[in-house]
Amino acid sequence: MKRGLRIGDRIILIVAGFFFITPFLAAAEYSLRGYGGKGHTFANYTWIFKQIGFSPALFTSLRIAALSVALLLLLMIPTVVYVQLAGRKWARLVEIMCLLPIVIPVVSLAIGAQVAMPKTLQSTSYELCFFYVIICMPYVYRTLNTGLQAISLPTLVEASSSLGATGLKTLILVIVPAIGSATLGAVFITFAISMGEYALAVLLHFHTLTTWATNASQENLYGSVAISVGSLFSIWILLVIFAYVPVIKSALNKKKETVE
Amino acid sequence: MDLHGSTVEFHNVKRVFGNVVALNDFSLKIKPGEMVTLLGPSGCGKTTALRILAGIDKEHSGVVEIDGKDMSRIAANKRNIGMVFQAYSLFPNMSAKENVEYGLRVRGIDSAQRAKRAVELLELVGLEHHQSRRPNQLSGGQQQRVALARALAIQPSVLLLDEPLSALDAQVRSQLRDEIRHIQSTIGITTLFVTHDQEEAMAISDRVGVMNKGNLEQIDDPNKLYNKPKTSFVAGFVGTTNKILAVAHSKNEVMVLSQILEISENAPDIIKGEALYALIRPESISISSASKGPTVITKSFLGPMTRVGIDVGLPELVYAEMSSKEAKKFDTGDHVEVHVANDAVMVANVE
Repeated sequence: MKRGLRIGDRIILIVAGFFFITPFLAAAEYSLRGYGGKGHTFANYTWIFKQIGFSPALFTSLRIAALSVALLLLLMIPTVVYVQLAGRKWARLVEIMCLLPIVIPVVSLAIGAQVAMPKTLQSTSYELCFFYVIICMPYVYRTLNTGLQAISLPTLVEASSSLGATGLKTLILVIVPAIGSATLGAVFITFAISMGEYALAVLLHFHTLTTWATNASQENLYGSVAISVGSLFSIWILLVIFAYVPVIKSALNKKKETVE
Repeated sequence: MDLHGSTVEFHNVKRVFGNVVALNDFSLKIKPGEMVTLLGPSGCGKTTALRILAGIDKEHSGVVEIDGKDMSRIAANKRNIGMVFQAYSLFPNMSAKENVEYGLRVRGIDSAQRAKRAVELLELVGLEHHQSRRPNQLSGGQQQRVALARALAIQPSVLLLDEPLSALDAQVRSQLRDEIRHIQSTIGITTLFVTHDQEEAMAISDRVGVMNKGNLEQIDDPNKLYNKPKTSFVAGFVGTTNKILAVAHSKNEVMVLSQILEISENAPDIIKGEALYALIRPESISISSASKGPTVITKSFLGPMTRVGIDVGLPELVYAEMSSKEAKKFDTGDHVEVHVANDAVMVANVE
């Protein structure tokens, strides 16, 4: 029997939904206000694209976010797989190391990492990728670890190996697709954090979307809120796409089977 | 399908985990096309032997050979061994057909050829209409069928079955067990099967090896294993056996339940008058009505057969197995006379 939500659950859901959606709706409404707060218009959104520096800042942020995602997956997937398969004794240490960035203040991280960074990378925007990898590690480690615990990893690896696959082929063809949802989650978290990170970028004097938006907000307050709402909305769209990719793929498979 | 059976040999293989000897001086030769089952309780070393042959476990001493070739330096992915696991091991991101194709894909076989082969194998296991289904859309039995097809797709020299039926319900297990045997004997692949289910082992194997604490206690065809167990462990583990307190009547005879019976081969050194255990199958014991003497305590209906538990004045009940029709003559509380079939009996020392 399918049971509906209990009254208590519904109240909690409504209150939480209200708490979450109200500021967003208020910000969206504010971003649509016309000059002097009169009427509603999309002018603030079109204003964004007309600003000098917007496109370079956006592309810098996108490039940094994409590279951070790639670096983090390259680092974390093999690490977490190794820990789960053969390195159980290292699990605690790896977990602690991955969680450390949560307790290290950003200023300390920025200064320490800047000193430790190879000179060839210093002062290039790629430097930020490595910092973002560190910042995202706690969330990505947890996400991937949970994903791997949900599959019978040792059996899948042994099965793949007995069928003739090397470790790398097993990783690419079996493990990564098998934890697809967790990997997508990790991609989303890293992308969202990298796109929205401000403190490190401003401390190290990089021109990313967030630093540009802060500067731009001094000129047009409505426009700066439009930037925030636009970023949030874009990330929501990404989240919905990521969430529905497996559903769409599964529906396509079912359709294919029916045709066959 | 064109598969040839390979010879598999274990020579004095030993595997130790910490202080535990999982496999002790294990030697076994499997003939081409033969199906050998390793049977034993949990922790007896049967799965360890299988994993060593697969190349998954390499921390062992001794030699493993396939067709006379030493496997010590050959990695698991180069041994050309097909394996079906106890846990469902299909790749969740692939359809049934893609799973079967996987081994060929990693070998670089072109897609048309591997698709043809995958379809052939899915037909062999009766799942040609489920090619596009994902593992989560298949039942447990279907998943293990696909796993079998996947293992066979690479034309392995040896097939390893690691308790592939243990997660299935009784009816599917029995059906799939017979199908595995049929496929195995049809294509003639050398197979090593591991199970703790004696019925499964006896039903489908050419030979069954009984393992205990890392040692191979006995390996024989199922009939011989059941009727002529070489050790008390085998007698106790395979089938049901009464362990009845008896006395050595001579070096070759034992007195059990007031009968003098010949002692079978492989008996320990016996001194006349020594207390022993006589190991007797329930079907070798019959009962007849009597006005006094042993009492029927329990009756267990097993379908065509019934097992009757009798108090003969010893610490443990003696069990007799007879047709359910015959057992109708006796009720609990009845007095009976107990007869042991006049065959040679196996004995064990009283510890």
